Amino acid sequence: MKNKEVLFGLYDDEEVLLSAVKEAKSRHLDIMDVYSPFPVHGLDPLLGLSESRLHQAGFIYGAIGTLTAFLFMTWVFTRDWPLIFGGKPYWSVPAFIPIIFELTVLFASIGMVVTYYAINGQGPGVTNPVLDDRITDDKFCIAFEVNGANESTVSSFRNFLKDSGASEIRTKTI
Amino acid sequence: MNQFTLAGRERTLLMSFMIVGLLCMGITYFTDDALHTRFWSNFLHNTVFFIGIAFLALLFLCANLIALSGWYVVFKRIWEAYTQFLLVGLVLMFVVIIGLWLNGHHLYHWADKASVMADVILQGKSSFLNPVIYTLFTVVILGIWYFFAMKMRAFSLEEESVAKWDFTVHKKKMRVWASWFLPIGGFSSAAIIWLWVMSIDAHWYSTLFAWYCTISWFVSMLCITVLSLIYLKSKGYYAEVKADHFHDLGKFIFGFSVFWTYLWFSQYMLIWYGNIGEETVYFRERFDNYPVLFYGNLFINFVLPFLVLLRNDTKRKMGVMTVICTIVLIGHWIDYFLMIKPGVLHTAHELMGGHEAHGAVEHGGEAVAQAVAHGAEAVEHASSFLIGFTIPGLLEIGTFLGFTALFAFFFLTQLSKAPLVAKRDPYIDESLHHHVV
Repeated sequence: MKNKEVLFGLYDDEEVLLSAVKEAKSRHLDIMDVYSPFPVHGLDPLLGLSESRLHQAGFIYGAIGTLTAFLFMTWVFTRDWPLIFGGKPYWSVPAFIPIIFELTVLFASIGMVVTYYAINGQGPGVTNPVLDDRITDDKFCIAFEVNGANESTVSSFRNFLKDSGASEIRTKTI
Repeated sequence: MNQFTLAGRERTLLMSFMIVGLLCMGITYFTDDALHTRFWSNFLHNTVFFIGIAFLALLFLCANLIALSGWYVVFKRIWEAYTQFLLVGLVLMFVVIIGLWLNGHHLYHWADKASVMADVILQGKSSFLNPVIYTLFTVVILGIWYFFAMKMRAFSLEEESVAKWDFTVHKKKMRVWASWFLPIGGFSSAAIIWLWVMSIDAHWYSTLFAWYCTISWFVSMLCITVLSLIYLKSKGYYAEVKADHFHDLGKFIFGFSVFWTYLWFSQYMLIWYGNIGEETVYFRERFDNYPVLFYGNLFINFVLPFLVLLRNDTKRKMGVMTVICTIVLIGHWIDYFLMIKPGVLHTAHELMGGHEAHGAVEHGGEAVAQAVAHGAEAVEHASSFLIGFTIPGLLEIGTFLGFTALFAFFFLTQLSKAPLVAKRDPYIDESLHHHVV
């Protein structure tokens, strides 16, 4: 992966961060990303992030789970190994429903977790570059990518960070 | 606009619907069978349904108070107004009680002395299923509920006079009373459901039944809340209620529709698996004679809200919510229809001709053969299609409209007695800035 040179500012307060993001939008600065230790209310619409489609994937995984359980049990109890339980017919759907439910939940949850990790490039064995450790604790961060950017762009980023109340401004190559 | 006034046009409309309801009940009464089965079962059905809505409004209000939640505060007057309907409920149940004592109706098998004499099971239950307990429990429990409803309402209005951040009334009175009402309401509602609804099928019982009924009431209450809010918003009131509040109500409807299904299915599956005659009889009856409503009930109360309200955006759209809430409200009304009608009809048939058939079971073979010949007509009658029992007929719909109008009239009248938004509630700001997406 190509290294990125990042210019970032750390903020002490989420309200300052929110107004800074608003300010950046009004100056038409291209924000690379915003980092925060917790979800900041109202940040998503400001950054123009669209709604996550993870739950749509979840619905599909759930539906697959439903079908898998239903069809598998149907096959087992009508074709492969018919058994009589409690004097019920081989194909007794009410008895399948708890298992159908469980498999729906299982498929949906595991599918969503795997999808989430895959899309975000996370997971076991992956190390992600961190701009500053305190971003996971009490600092809020706005980052700009400055690879090959000219002087004036970089200084406009710097000025913006200074103006909007960043407590620290640094660069890091990740 | 922070003060609701019931306009003359709406008043006339509601009044005329109430008259339609009364007319329908009158027609039902005079075209009915000798025991007025259809009339009384309609009366009980609608009464129980709307009392439940009022009760659940109170229970949910208290639950929210205990949970220190704030999202509902902006429209909490609506629920407070619902709870006042318990007074009307008390009057309506009083009619049922009078009918019970004067033998005016035959809704309950256990109330018929001759049947109890001939029936070991009914005798065994007679220490609980008897007119005295029925009257006592109904009056005392409904009385307690109404008492709490009045108290909670009074505290809420008292709060209007305190400073905005003063928690005194909220902490010292509302929360304390709410924490008392939750166990009282929770346990007493179960007992009242056994008496009002479950004892209609007097031979049958299910330990899950009370929860299942309560959740049916709860979903109905939420649906009626959404419909009320949409109506009031269309009249220009409650501009403070935003899509976010509907979103949360929609989530509750979605979640508790699923929970209703969970209870419905749990009850069904255990009985199906156990396959014990005295338990399966409840579902056998509904399978055989009410198939459309039986499966339709599951479809409207589970599949429909599940698939429609699953999406994020449908809960925020007034049009979708109106349609879904209307359908689900009717769905739960039908759920109660299915709980009440088959048992009442069965009792009526036994009283009108099947006495021998019933008593004969204890007396062995010969008597059974004799009784079958006697009761054959009644049995045949029982399995035939009957408007008003097999499916709700026009008279049922008219009665339902009448009761709905009565509920709406009482609710809107109560609503007009206080400012719409509780400006002094300590959680009002949280509610005004409620934001869920």
